This record gives sequence, C-alpha cells and structure tokens, in this order.
Amino acid sequence: MLKDYTESNTFKKLRDTSGRVPLIRQPVFLIASCVALVLYGSMLFWASGEGLVIRIALSVFVALLVTWTGIIITDERRGERLKTSMVFLVLAVLVLLFLEFHVTNSEEIIELFFNITVIKKAWPYLVLGFKTTISLAFMAALVSTVIGLTLAIFRSFDNKVLNFFIIAYVDFFRAIPIIVLLMLIYYGLPFLNIRLSAFASGVLGLGLNSGAYVSEIFRAGFLSVSKGQLEASRALGMTPWQTMQKVALPQAFKAVIPPLVGNYVASAKDTALCSSISIIELLKAGTAQQSLNANPSPLIFVTVLYLILFVPLTRLCGYIEKRMKKTQRQITV
Amino acid sequence: MDPIIRVESLHKSFRDLHVLRGVSIEVNRSEVVSFIGRSGSGKSTLLRCINRLEEPTSGEIWIDGVNIHEPYIDINKVRAEIGMVFQSFNLFPHMTAIDNIMLAPVCVRKISRQEAKERGLSLLEKVGLAEKANEYPEKLSGGQRQRVAIARALAMQPRIMFFDEPTSALDPEMVGEVLDVMAQMASEGMTMLIVSHEMGFIREAADRVLFLDEGKILEEGTPDDIFNRPQFPVTRDFLGKVL
Ligand SMILES: Nc1ncnc2c1ncn2[C@@H]1O[C@H](COP(=O)(O)OP(=O)(O)OP(=O)(O)O)[C@@H](O)[C@H]1O
Ligand SMILES: [Mg+2]
Repeated sequence: MLKDYTESNTFKKLRDTSGRVPLIRQPVFLIASCVALVLYGSMLFWASGEGLVIRIALSVFVALLVTWTGIIITDERRGERLKTSMVFLVLAVLVLLFLEFHVTNSEEIIELFFNITVIKKAWPYLVLGFKTTISLAFMAALVSTVIGLTLAIFRSFDNKVLNFFIIAYVDFFRAIPIIVLLMLIYYGLPFLNIRLSAFASGVLGLGLNSGAYVSEIFRAGFLSVSKGQLEASRALGMTPWQTMQKVALPQAFKAVIPPLVGNYVASAKDTALCSSISIIELLKAGTAQQSLNANPSPLIFVTVLYLILFVPLTRLCGYIEKRMKKTQRQITV
Repeated sequence: MDPIIRVESLHKSFRDLHVLRGVSIEVNRSEVVSFIGRSGSGKSTLLRCINRLEEPTSGEIWIDGVNIHEPYIDINKVRAEIGMVFQSFNLFPHMTAIDNIMLAPVCVRKISRQEAKERGLSLLEKVGLAEKANEYPEKLSGGQRQRVAIARALAMQPRIMFFDEPTSALDPEMVGEVLDVMAQMASEGMTMLIVSHEMGFIREAADRVLFLDEGKILEEGTPDDIFNRPQFPVTRDFLGKVL
C-alpha cells in the first residue's frame, strides 16, 4: 500500500524523470537555506522596531519558512519523525514571533481567558461540579446496564409480545432527544405527582436513553453466540438459565465490551445536558461561575477538565477495540 | 431385555417440509447403530428429535422405558443420559479443555469440582489429551477438539451416545484418531447411534446399519447385509457413490 503510494508520488516523478535530484531537494540547498533562514530569523528578532518595514520583513520570513517546511515535508526520502518534529519546530517559532510582536495583546488574552484569580475562586465549585458529573455518569451507566441487559435477555426468548414492547422501548428512547426526555421527567412528572430530585431525574433520563442502546448492544452480543453453542449446552442437560449464565453470557460479554465502553463514554458526555434541569454538574458550575465573576476563565477551565476526563477514556475505547479484534479471531470450536 | 431407545412412527416437519415420515426404531443396550443416507434424508433431524433438540411433530419416543413427551418429564434429566457429539465440535471457546469437560457434571450432576476435575483428567487421558487440559479450544487441532468434545460428553457418564457426522469437519489425517476413540467406546459396551459417512468404520464397529431415504428407514440390517446385499436400487446407488 505504502509502496504504491510513494511510487505514484508526483514529487518522486518530478525528481526521477530527469534522472537527477532537483536543486531544491539537494542537501546542499537545504542546509544552506536553513542557515540563511536561521540568520534572517535571528536578525529579525533583534532588530526590534515598529512600522511597515518590519512587518514586510516578518511576512517574508514566515512565507520562506513555510515554503522551506513544505519542501521537506513533500520529500518522501525524509523520515516521518523528522517531518513531525519539523512541523512542531515551525509552530514554536511562529508562536514565539507572535508573542514577540503582539505582547500587549497576549497579556490581555491571559487576563481574559486564563485568569488565575478567577479560577482560584471558582475552583471549589468546579470540583463539586466535576464530582457530580462523574457520579451522574456512573449512576446512568449502572441504570442503563440493568435496563439494557434485562431487555436483551427477554429479547433473546424471542416471544412476539415481549419483542413488540422491547422494540417499542428501544425505538422510543432512541428517537427522543435526551434534553426533551430530561425536561419531561423533571418538569412534566410533578404534574402526575411524581417528584424526583434533579439528580434522580438526570440519572433516569440518561439511563433510559442509554439503556435503549445498551440493550441493542447486548442483543447483538447474544446473536454472536452461535446456535451450536447453545445446543451443545442444552444437549449436556443444562437448563436454559444455566446455559444463559455459563455459555451465552460470558461469550456475549466478550463481544460487547468494546461497543459497551464506547456507549458509556458517549453517555457520560451527555451528562452536560443535565445542566438544563438545574443539576450543578461541571458545565453548570462553569457557567454559574462565569456569570458570577463576569469572566470566561471558568468555562475554559471546564473545557480542560472535560478533556482531561474524556481524552483518556476515548483512547481506552480505541485500545480495547483494537485488542479485542486481535484476540477475537472467528473460530469454529 | 427392554430396548433402551424406542421410537414409534416419528414425524417431523419444518413448516411445509416433511423431513421425517414415520420412523420407528428400537435400539438395545450396548448396541452400535449406524445411520446412513443421502444429504437431507433426515439423519441429523432424527437424532435431534430423540433428545428433543427438535420437537417432533408426532410420534412417541421412549428412553429407558420413559416416554420423553410425558408432561412431567424433565427433559434435562433425559438429555443428561444422552451424550451428543456434533460435526462442528461446539466446544465452549471461553473455557479450557478441562473446564469444558467439568462444566456439566458440576452444574447438572452437582458433583464437587474436585471430583469433576479428577473425572475430566482421566477422560482426557483416555482420549489421549492429558497434556492439553489447560489449553483453550482455539489452540487445539480439529481432531483434538473433537476428542475433547467426546470427553465432555462422556463426563456426564451417559448411557447413550449420539454422534452426528463427528469426522466430517476434520482433515483426513485426523479422522483416525477420533474413530479410534469411538471404536474403544463401542468395545466397552456403550450404546451408540452414529451418523457417519465413514463406511470402513461402520463396517467394523456397527452392529446394525439403517439406511434412511426421504425421511423413512428404507432398509436395515448388519453391515454385511447392507454393504454386500442391498435390496433397493436407491441403497445400491448411494453405496456406489460413497464406497
Ligand atoms: N431447523 C430447520 N429448519 C428448517 N429446515 C430444516 C431445519 N433443520 C433441517 N432442515 C431441513 O430438513 C432436511 C433434513 O435435514 P437433516 O439435517 O436432518 O439432513 P441430514 O440427513 O442430516 O443431511 P446431511 O447429511 O446434509 O447432514 C433438510 O432439507 C434440511 O434443509
Ligand atoms: Mg446432518
């Protein structure tokens, strides 16, 4: 694959039709131009000043730098690692230039978006919100697993009447937007004299929604267990329940772990919707602190907290999926 | 002595496909009975009806004098007495060989894990796989998997064994090792119902051969009778193709 790509690479053809390496790809040129660029750049750096001249010089420098990087990146004889570090180096230089020539602006930006004093003040509330987000996600995962697994087990009995209700459940809760569901539970149910706390409403709403997906995931898991497996178990005299417990469930579980974890993570992100029913989770804590301090720093910080929580989790999903694919060679046993 | 299996005018239809059209058989204790017939003649369906993996449409089945369609019968107790070996092995992939074997004795017979393990290990030894006890099925060859499957069935100490084309999914060089185990069981007096296309093995091991055609038993007799003096053109035709 990779080889085919490089064979057809236009840059290679450019070089090879003449049988010679063109000047701009020769090491001599690259090293010379690099030295020139560094010299030019450092000159710019020390030649502090104002006005049109310096701006033009700056633009020329950036243009040259980008062109030079382009020449290296498009040369397939260079290693991937070199190209990657090149890109980061150039970005670093650009940031440095930006800071050097826009000092006044950057201080303003820090004051506005990364205001340490505001964040310090908001910190305890944000931590509380963070904890609420996590317990919401955890409880919703629990509820959805109970709902989903129960539905999938009943679905596997393949009874027409049961199937109708289960399919209706799945369709309904997958179709209805979560935020609508949350509003219905929190603002609607009290009219039926069912009063749930905001937190309970959130868990219920997220759980009902995610449960529909979980049941479909488990159903696919059960379907992945072959009929032969179930027959072998029954032929040994095992009851349907023992067969479910010892043969079907363990195999189904293995098949469903990757999509299940993915679903939990997705559902955990949906906790942010609970800010609409006055649960003070991470997002709500952030927006509250933002308006209290009239400064958006808490929101930026909330974003960072979400990233810290979810980047490793989504990574984990990908990892599990890859691992499972490796070990799950389909075999006739 | 009473027959251990008695089947009377058994019929089975899948929707409008009439697969078994009145099958009656009696099998005595320690008898080895072999079923042959063309693909689709209903051999698998017959075995599967006898342990009720399929529900017969009509007819009666007695195992050891018990009518298995009486409402108070616990079908799991009946099945526990009938070991079944499938063409596709159907080992449980998430368990090691020994766990595959121990599962049903512990769950159904309620014997201790210790006892089940001892029994399982001695059965693995019997089928020549003592050193594979802790391997997962994935790591075993086809012939080894089928021998583990036989040991799994034997661990329930069944009174009858069913084999549905136990060697059809195997590479030719592995067929022998499985047939050897089956021959040994036959010599130990196990009652066996075998669906197979291994005519050489049937000739050696079977007491009786039944030829199924279009859901009926067309012909039955000793291997010698059937293989050397078939009565019907259909049987002759079939044997001509497989021998
Ligand atoms: N669960 C089922 N649903 C519908 N039709 C079935 C089912 N099981 C078997 N049949 C049909 O019943 C007929 C007999 O099948 P059976 O498996 O008993 O044949 P067989 O003699 O074992 O053949 P083979 O040598 O190919 O295994 C076939 O036509 C098959 O398609
Ligand atoms: Mg068959």
